[in-house]
Amino acid sequence: MNMLFKIAWRNIWRNRTRSVVVIASVAVGLFAGMFMMAFFQGAINQEIQSTVETQLSHIQFHNPAFIADKDVNFTIGDGPAIIGRLKKDAGVKAVSGRLVTTGMISSSSTAAGVEIHGVVAEDEKAVSTISKDIIEGSYFTGKKNEIVIGEKLAIKLGVKLHNKIVLTFQSKTGDLTAGSFRIAGIFRSRNSAFDQTTVFTGFDDLAALLGTGNGIHEIAVMLKDGQKTDAFDRTLKKEYPTLLVQSWTELSPQMALLTGIMDQMMYIIIGIILLALMFGIINTMLMAVLERQREFGMLMAIGMNKPRVFFMILLESVMLTCAGIPVGILFTIITVGSLSRHGIDLSGFSQALSQYGFSNIIYPALQQSMFLPVSLMTAFTAVLSAIYPAIKALRFKPAEAIHKI
Amino acid sequence: MSHIIESHNLSKVYNPDTIPVNAVNGVNLQVEEGEFTALVGPSGSGKTTLLNLIGGLDYPTGGSVKIEGVDITQMKENKLIDFRLKNIGFVFQAYNLIPVLTASENVEFVMLLQKTGKSEREQRAIELLTEVGLKDKLNKRPSELSGGQQQRVAVARALASKPRFILADEPTANLDSKSTENLLEIMAKLNVEDKMTFIFSTHDQRVIDKARRVVTLVDGKIVSDVKQ
Repeated sequence: MNMLFKIAWRNIWRNRTRSVVVIASVAVGLFAGMFMMAFFQGAINQEIQSTVETQLSHIQFHNPAFIADKDVNFTIGDGPAIIGRLKKDAGVKAVSGRLVTTGMISSSSTAAGVEIHGVVAEDEKAVSTISKDIIEGSYFTGKKNEIVIGEKLAIKLGVKLHNKIVLTFQSKTGDLTAGSFRIAGIFRSRNSAFDQTTVFTGFDDLAALLGTGNGIHEIAVMLKDGQKTDAFDRTLKKEYPTLLVQSWTELSPQMALLTGIMDQMMYIIIGIILLALMFGIINTMLMAVLERQREFGMLMAIGMNKPRVFFMILLESVMLTCAGIPVGILFTIITVGSLSRHGIDLSGFSQALSQYGFSNIIYPALQQSMFLPVSLMTAFTAVLSAIYPAIKALRFKPAEAIHKI
Repeated sequence: MSHIIESHNLSKVYNPDTIPVNAVNGVNLQVEEGEFTALVGPSGSGKTTLLNLIGGLDYPTGGSVKIEGVDITQMKENKLIDFRLKNIGFVFQAYNLIPVLTASENVEFVMLLQKTGKSEREQRAIELLTEVGLKDKLNKRPSELSGGQQQRVAVARALASKPRFILADEPTANLDSKSTENLLEIMAKLNVEDKMTFIFSTHDQRVIDKARRVVTLVDGKIVSDVKQ
């Protein structure tokens, strides 16, 4: 068997240029596929991270009825006690209690619908990165009736820092209530849609207008290790069966779906690349077989049976193709490794990317777990590619093939 | 003496449906063990076709070929390949060595197909290559050997499987006179000392002179069969 491996390997190098072209095609094809995978995975990871850090946090608590119709009366019973317990948990990084309602924001010139978050600034800073996205002013100064709004919304309303705006919404009693707020800060997150529809006020200011007292609508929990979200989520669900405890994947199923779809998409992309490569490999192997008709005739004449001839051609195809795999993987590791540190600047598309919540700079994420399945898929492609040339070789008649020039 | 090869009314017709060519036409030939036989005749007389039929490389359109009593024309292709491996050695006009293997690996290859153990293979390859005068060329690839040397490797390879007989199709056609002389000496020595049966097709008078039996073919028929 060793001899067959030896023959197959040496045969590959009989036509060095042709083999190098095939090996390079496999390497470049795999690199292209894995680079695309790394790029999209990086973009999605950033999107998830951004959404978790600015909007969702890892786990949220709600009164189940609040989620159903957003009625401000449905607060979390004993919210402050739950916050106190969570803050003591070793796995929890930060906890923030929020009031959440929808209403209208009006400037002197126009108005817009928004989701209003009443937050305790110090707690919220630890849970959300919005405080770091402030481009003008500051993330609350401690004065009464301050509001922090997104840049897009400020432009839409035609307001600037320190201008006054009016928030109108329904209070606990069902009456329409309004409050005047001064813009303390303007933020710009990665997600322009979020910036245009979400505003932040002080917790106490909003509670006073809503009439909810100590009531809390939403508790946002950031964990020290995001990978443990599911485990924490399960524990908290058991501990607080009357409350709606949701992980970020439940809060944003479209985000979880995106991750799942990406995996499938990656396999489809690699599959298409390999399908294209397959034709190249078939062509090369067919040329190699037809050129060596006399040799195959001789091998069969001296007693090499058909399964062995088939296996030898299969080996040549697999060796030729698989030689490209480590090259492709190495190239991917080097390139993606470097770009995952420095990022790919897509500032030219910043507006479009921002609308979908993507960052201007994408940091590709290397998917090491893909190396094995991708390698196996490539080897399988090599086997498939060898079948037709091998069948062709088996049809040679020794007496005729020996005399072919 | 027993017949190692027997053909009965052997024929091969090419293009039977268009323009039939009777390459071999009703040949009856018996070869005894230890013979050193030359098949001669003009180009197109059917020498190579007859060798192919005797060697089981092709199926006849009529008649039979028996090797030690076994009719090989009735064998399925895979069984025939196995039969060739165990019983017949081949030497071709164009040497037909495996270009990516060294001389000793080429000789070992046949034994590998026979599933001979590694050490036995290596030892026998050295012995055979020594016997054909190529002890110092064991690790040379065919491209590093002269035509005569390559053909001697081919003879060593043909002997490696310990065949019942060796078929050689114009073995000296591509060789110069010195190499031809050298090859003939080796083949004659193997025939005399090891009782190896040789059947070869040839145009070469020097080869014909060395043969102890000369079978002449014309238009696929034996026209003379002379022992000398």
